[in-house]
Amino acid sequence: MTRWLLAILVVIVSGWYLSFTATRLDRLHHRVETSWANLDVLLQKRAAVALEIAHSDIADPASSMLLTAAAYQARDANIQNRSQAESGLSGALGLLLEDSEHLATAADSALLTELSALTDKIRVAIAIHTDAVARTQMVRDKVVVKSFRLAGTAPLPITYEFETDVL
Amino acid sequence: MLTRSLKIGIVCPYSWDTPGGVQNHIRDLAEFLIAAGHEVSVLAPALDESKLPDYVVNAGKPISIPYNGAVARVLFGPVAFARVRQWISQGEFDLLHLHEPAIPSISLLACWAADGPMVGTFHAAAKRQKIIFAIGPILEPAIEKLSARIAVSEAARLTLTDHLDTDAIIIPNGIYASRYSHGQPQVKWAGNTIGFIGRFEEPRKGLSILVDALPVISRFAPDVKVFVAGPGDPGEVIESIDPQLRHRFEFLGKISEEDKADFMSSVSLYVAPNTGGESFGIILAEALAGGACVVASDIPAFDDLLGHGEFGALFESESSTELAKVVIDLLRDKEKRERLATAGKAHAQNFDWTVVAEQIYSVYEMSIVGSEKVRLASDTRPWNRFLSKEDKP
Repeated sequence: MTRWLLAILVVIVSGWYLSFTATRLDRLHHRVETSWANLDVLLQKRAAVALEIAHSDIADPASSMLLTAAAYQARDANIQNRSQAESGLSGALGLLLEDSEHLATAADSALLTELSALTDKIRVAIAIHTDAVARTQMVRDKVVVKSFRLAGTAPLPITYEFETDVL
Repeated sequence: MLTRSLKIGIVCPYSWDTPGGVQNHIRDLAEFLIAAGHEVSVLAPALDESKLPDYVVNAGKPISIPYNGAVARVLFGPVAFARVRQWISQGEFDLLHLHEPAIPSISLLACWAADGPMVGTFHAAAKRQKIIFAIGPILEPAIEKLSARIAVSEAARLTLTDHLDTDAIIIPNGIYASRYSHGQPQVKWAGNTIGFIGRFEEPRKGLSILVDALPVISRFAPDVKVFVAGPGDPGEVIESIDPQLRHRFEFLGKISEEDKADFMSSVSLYVAPNTGGESFGIILAEALAGGACVVASDIPAFDDLLGHGEFGALFESESSTELAKVVIDLLRDKEKRERLATAGKAHAQNFDWTVVAEQIYSVYEMSIVGSEKVRLASDTRPWNRFLSKEDKP
């Protein structure tokens, strides 16, 4: 009798644990997707602002060319070379902004403020996204998740190697 | 920048009526957010409900437990859990901001009970503890629910990465820098004076190190005076001072915020000889904002806040001879003092609430994107959804 009770208890507890882990994993997958979508939107916005800067008086013709190229590259990049393209854009923006602060007019400095506000947000968004990805990969690695196929058909998220320091 | 009006729920783990850094931080943050047009509700344990500001919701009477080398007044248990769940389900929050969610408290309960956008702030900096590794696997799934984690300093971030293997964004604690920047220098505190503010009875505040350093300091600066401000009974400290030097100490008791501003702009040096247990050092930020030249022990939090010596002088922690050396050097060099004070005052602007709240709000915004409102986690479990459907008339 007790053996049966024990067996039932084990089934209930492991059932609860499986459901708990599945919920946890589901939440993580959801976060990976939303945080990526958010980061993507912010990066697109940044590319747009970069283009605007390229067409403003802040940029000299040479930097303007560089910036335009970098911004288009960042916009068109696929997920594999996205981070490289975004780093390129960061670099181009960095080069230009290094010595442009004292040249900027009022309208231009509004543009620069917008860019720096965006950069702050992107920094946070990257932190949230990379954390979600790392967490998901960690949980997906668990034996119980693998053996019971708790992840279902969801693809394993790719780490987005964004170089934070160039922002 | 604070564009959309949000409904924010903040959970304070510690008793609202006991003074403490976390409570002050939450109070200032809540008031700043309210002033910016957001709706804020703070859930906190409290002993005396009648004294609570109207944005604070009482979670119950706190109990005292020993934690991390001090006594913490926190609250947990089934009744508290029910209270937390009720607060979450009635609040309809856009976001929860949990403070110190890794200690047994209502913050952890809220993290467990809620589902949706959550931000956690980690204040404590502690040495590696085995016990944390034992409870780590239990904490992990809960901490993981936080969409973003904030650490108040590099020291707090390292504690977090060490103990829970997760990273955090560093956002410092806030001060109202403008409250301290217009202090009037007072003649009574001017001259070769050293200031100290804090609960001096606590050994970790390190007043004894300053006391031990004074014989040497007074040999080189015979007119030096030490002003000690803060609540407590000075009797025992006075006992420990060499009788010949006792007249050099003056105990001011607890001073008001306005006096604090005057104090910081009057004294030649502000000394913080803390031996540990600090994760941020809000008093140093206030001293810098008040234009004081700061001398502090080189514990990680202070080293970080003072930019490794760029915004204030550092000495080897717990060494009174090193403290004496640094103090004598600075008392003799007015130019250096002024240089440090000017650099420090500019640096203190980074801790102003206008800057800090903006950063915190940025994290809020990023956490909310693409998520629904905060709900009770149990509502989202499939069998509960099934059951509650049947219950509905």
